Amino acid sequence: MRHGKYPFIVGFLAAPVALYVTFVIAPYLQAFYLAMTNWRGVSANPKFIGLDNFQRLLQDDVFWKAVRHHGLLLLALPLVTIAIALFFAFLLNVGGGSRGGVMTGVWGSKFYRFVFFFPQVLAIVIIGVIFQRVYAPDDSGLLNGFLKIFGIDPILFMANGRIALWAIVAVLVWQSVGFYVVLFSAGMASIPKDIYEAATLDGAGRGAMFFRVTMPLLWDTLQVAWVYLGIAAFDAFAIVQVLSVDQGGPDGATTVLGMEIYRNAFSYSQFGYASAMGVALFFLTITFAALTLRVSRRETIEL
Amino acid sequence: MALLTREATRQAAPASTERREVKVLSGFAHLSLAVWAILVIAPLAWTVMASFKNNTEIFLGNPFALPSSFNFDSYVRAWNDAHVGRYFLNSVFVVSISTAGTMLLGSMAAYVLARYKFFGNRFIYYLFVSGLAFPVFLALVPLFLVVNNLGLLNTYTGLILVYIAYSLPFTVFFLAAFFKTLPNSVAEAAMIDGASHTRLFFQVMMPMAKPGLVSLTIFNILGQWNQYLLPVALMQGENADQKWVLTQGIASISVQAGYEADWAALFAALTLSILPMIVMYGFFQRQIQQGLTAGAVK
Amino acid sequence: MSEDRRTFLQRAAAAGLLATPAAGLLSACVGGGDDDTQDQAEGEKSETNPLGVDAKAPLEVVIFNGGLGTKYATDVHIPSYKKSFPEAEVKFSQAEEIATVLQPRFTSEQPPDMVNNAGSKLMDQGALVQAGQVQDLTDLFNAPSLDIAGKTVKDTLVPGTVEQGTFNGKPYVLNYAFTTFGLWYSDKLFKDNSWTVPKTWTEFTALLDSMKAKGVTPYAYAGANASYYQYLVILTTAAKIGGADVLKNIDNLEDGAWQVDAVKQAAQLWGEIGNKYMLKSHLGLRHTEVQLQQNQYRVGLYPSGSWLENEQAKDTPAGFNYAVMPLPSATASDKLPQTAIYAAAGEMYFVAAKGKNPRGGMEYLRHMLSKEGAKGFTELTKVLTVVQGATEGLTISPGLTSSEAMLKAAGSDYFAYRWDTWYKKMDDECRAATNELMFSGGDANKFVARMQKVADEVKKDPSIEKFKR
Repeated sequence: MRHGKYPFIVGFLAAPVALYVTFVIAPYLQAFYLAMTNWRGVSANPKFIGLDNFQRLLQDDVFWKAVRHHGLLLLALPLVTIAIALFFAFLLNVGGGSRGGVMTGVWGSKFYRFVFFFPQVLAIVIIGVIFQRVYAPDDSGLLNGFLKIFGIDPILFMANGRIALWAIVAVLVWQSVGFYVVLFSAGMASIPKDIYEAATLDGAGRGAMFFRVTMPLLWDTLQVAWVYLGIAAFDAFAIVQVLSVDQGGPDGATTVLGMEIYRNAFSYSQFGYASAMGVALFFLTITFAALTLRVSRRETIEL
Repeated sequence: MALLTREATRQAAPASTERREVKVLSGFAHLSLAVWAILVIAPLAWTVMASFKNNTEIFLGNPFALPSSFNFDSYVRAWNDAHVGRYFLNSVFVVSISTAGTMLLGSMAAYVLARYKFFGNRFIYYLFVSGLAFPVFLALVPLFLVVNNLGLLNTYTGLILVYIAYSLPFTVFFLAAFFKTLPNSVAEAAMIDGASHTRLFFQVMMPMAKPGLVSLTIFNILGQWNQYLLPVALMQGENADQKWVLTQGIASISVQAGYEADWAALFAALTLSILPMIVMYGFFQRQIQQGLTAGAVK
Repeated sequence: MSEDRRTFLQRAAAAGLLATPAAGLLSACVGGGDDDTQDQAEGEKSETNPLGVDAKAPLEVVIFNGGLGTKYATDVHIPSYKKSFPEAEVKFSQAEEIATVLQPRFTSEQPPDMVNNAGSKLMDQGALVQAGQVQDLTDLFNAPSLDIAGKTVKDTLVPGTVEQGTFNGKPYVLNYAFTTFGLWYSDKLFKDNSWTVPKTWTEFTALLDSMKAKGVTPYAYAGANASYYQYLVILTTAAKIGGADVLKNIDNLEDGAWQVDAVKQAAQLWGEIGNKYMLKSHLGLRHTEVQLQQNQYRVGLYPSGSWLENEQAKDTPAGFNYAVMPLPSATASDKLPQTAIYAAAGEMYFVAAKGKNPRGGMEYLRHMLSKEGAKGFTELTKVLTVVQGATEGLTISPGLTSSEAMLKAAGSDYFAYRWDTWYKKMDDECRAATNELMFSGGDANKFVARMQKVADEVKKDPSIEKFKR
């Protein structure tokens, strides 16, 4: 124990903790409490009703529908994003073959890396408004206007309940790929050159190089990506709200928990019930995070 | 050694097969990369185009057609009537202060939690990182009451403090992990030289943690820049629209567009808010990409 | 997305932590603890000040910034109030998201005095009334009109206005704009093709057929965000078939109210229209997009309220000439005539009961309901108000003329329902059910079953306050 340690600790922690407890923890605890009331959002005196809201939750079809959608997102979003990002990162870093003993990316790598990252700097609201037009169900939409060139009839991206959720997944992938390309690129850059050289020496083609060398050595980074994207799958509220037909439709086909919480809170004025859903979402997310972190825990975090 | 290897490579793979393989593969590679680049650029380019179109062109015309005329009326409307310029500056002001505050307070807390043993350390750490496993909008009403009781409603001070508070969990989580990876030897050497804890932090540890700090700063700028619900709930009352941040301005135009149908102005406003971000990103590309990955890959 | 990622990381890190809610401690904060109402301003009642407004008390009004804009408040009503009470300070603000902005203020019992509760994010008016947040407007309606001599405010209004804002017997809300609903079309398109307004269902489908033959999409509404225009149409037909009581029973959540023949028949008829005369892509479009198509003569008939002409003003080509028709009769034995229409006072304005100046809030409404106030509103917004005769001396557009004529022809045969604002959950379900009916198969039984199910759920839910009319 060194001299002056405690005054220093207190001094450094006081301001951030005070701020955090005041503006974050206190409101959140109140929300947890509200989950056990019948509060309607505008009255001053919510009535305590115990766990009634949670009981109701168990019988709420829409709630379970939203949970199932999270399940789909949880599988599709990480898989697709990681596959695409990995492929591009490989092309951009190692795809150009060896030049002077150094693995290089294909021609134009810098440009691609610059462009792919664009969606990362845009607010989700902006992306939502733009994709309304990308997915427009007639020829004036970007995608359908393009398909028309090939004589394909307009696809009802957001209006067809069977594909709407996939269209949402596509936007999330569109938006995330750039970040993971950069992330994986950094991971690939840290793979020692000698390993590639040795592999080339053994006559490994690029396919073999990718699966035998790059993938295994990137395993840690891949796991991190999986956790990030998995947790992203529990959100998706903003994009669903801006983009989907009838906010989570058609007929609930794209709804997620965030959307239902929002609807119950602000549209039905059932803040108590909405808070209960929020608590459920909290525990779902935490359970997922705990499970995956257990599997993919990294040295630096464990320290 | 390098020379030898290169020689060996050349011998190991017969030149002709390799070239063919390279041709096919790089053809496919370039195609897929180009397609994705188009997928990213097309919607953004279309947004810029749409800002010059009228409603009929936007909603009924060929999406790939050029606007019938290039005039900047829609930009004038976005700038004057919708005050995009003012909101942009407001956002710059709020975000620069709140990000600076977040970084200072966040790194102080993270540092202490990462490198000092004391009673309650774990508790405070988990208190921080548990932060946002809960949707922000459910806390809106209680948060409003807190801010209101402190008399900070409709003030930049209030908004900035709230931004900082809501950015702390991630900042603390990320930086604590980062501070843990810094070598002990340097810190011990400094202590032996008689540096105080405070000096150690500011003069030794902070510079060493620079990559992590840079990446977090960027995360926070992006996150706070895109914040929407918090300012909507907290910046209200008389003349609140003078103090709005950019996302509020955009949302306002977007709602208006649904009634008065001035979509060109909406897309002009979107363009005005996207362009500076892309230009900024272009300038700081290298730092941003290095920064973003520094902590994650470390 | 960056924000999302930030959240994910935070959440990832949260593994293993459970917050321990100190519920008892915090509950006090939520409620503010006590029921004391703050001091409310009140002045001497007099002939010029029948509501007893404190002439010096500040007044705060919040106006929704949407289709009507806010100019009518800043340029007409506020100056009018200031003219009567020059010493009073009127604080004005506008909002796009009324609920997000105002809900916390009502909870903390610091509401603005007068609120225009509107837009897609409006507050649940029923919940507000239930919570005792809304001022009883009986005094206002019984007060003398500001500038129509010898009449009380109530006397100057279109019949049904007060009722439209009544919750369980007491008037709480002023619905200020008067809206008529029907099928909108271009008079030019009709004249060019010598089409006439259909009176019977056979004439109606014949018209739709000839539109189809001309390459015009005969009938359209926007499924993405405006399916309530269409359920209004279905229920209007139901009311024509079975009388206005069909709607009253639905409002009152009577058992089986949705399962009566009139509703089933109406759903059946409209489901067939959906199958035969609509474009599937309209399910994915928003209202402005479909309206634009009509402006380009690509859509024949479009169901909407009388705000349509103003909303489309910028995009309507010259000579388009908006006109509106009532829905055709459904059967030969309809209980209501073909001229019967859905018409209602809408656009809610209410006074906060727990505000600082409820008297002033009511007085502000009295200024809105003056002849000058109403005229100014219609001038700026092209929307009629509930004040009778307030359009005298105004030049009126073709669409407004047409809807006034439709209203006149209807006589006393106009009706409205309330369930959609009373029970938002039913509104949401009906939007989805309507889209399903109109765009995927037209199964009337399924539509009726879905609606009856949600109505029963609402009825059984003790947390939702019930209303009767």
